[in-house]
Amino acid sequence: MTVVRYFAAAAEASGCDEEIWDEPVATVGELRAGLVARYGEPMSRVLSTGSFLVDGMVSRDPSRAVGERVDVLPPFAGG
Amino acid sequence: MADGAVFALVTDAVLDRAAVEAFVVTVEDGAVVTFEGIIRDHDHGAGVSALDYEAHPDAESFLRDVCTEVAAETGLRIAAAHRIGHLVIGDVALIAAVAAPHRADAFAACSRLVDLIKERTPIWKRQHLDDGVSEWVGL
Repeated sequence: MTVVRYFAAAAEASGCDEEIWDEPVATVGELRAGLVARYGEPMSRVLSTGSFLVDGMVSRDPSRAVGERVDVLPPFAGG
Repeated sequence: MADGAVFALVTDAVLDRAAVEAFVVTVEDGAVVTFEGIIRDHDHGAGVSALDYEAHPDAESFLRDVCTEVAAETGLRIAAAHRIGHLVIGDVALIAAVAAPHRADAFAACSRLVDLIKERTPIWKRQHLDDGVSEWVGL
């Protein structure tokens, strides 16, 4: 079981801040495919330049293993 | 001696430029370079009325990591503070400060610091345009 948290534009695309991902996902790539399948073009747009936070590390590597929690991060826009 | 100490803050309060600069300046420094990121009234040709900033709960930790990296590269004291929440034209969203014995080092380190903050700190902003539309910046 993986808890997925969404921020900013990703939360808008999913319509929630957090959810339990019911399908098993082993990697960032699998989760990414699942997110696009579930939330369509708005999420695809976020993920095209966004990233994932896995165990405290920001990653875009599709082979990166996911654990109990993954954060979906839109492209950063600080400053 | 330069000690590479860092200060990092993410807050919804008005930023305190004097406090940020006071953290970096020591008696050995002949230069302090402070960058302020300010809310401007336009973007990509459209009028902007306000911005809403949102931060990841760990944003301050990421900001500190950036400061630590630049401090390690330069041996200089580094400070950065980022404001979040609802900001209007003229508000200061970011203060980044570096002090050094000589100005060239301070300019270079501050420029690199701001670049890394923008690249690595999980902060987002929704921009409100004059025509009533709002949009996420960077998407």
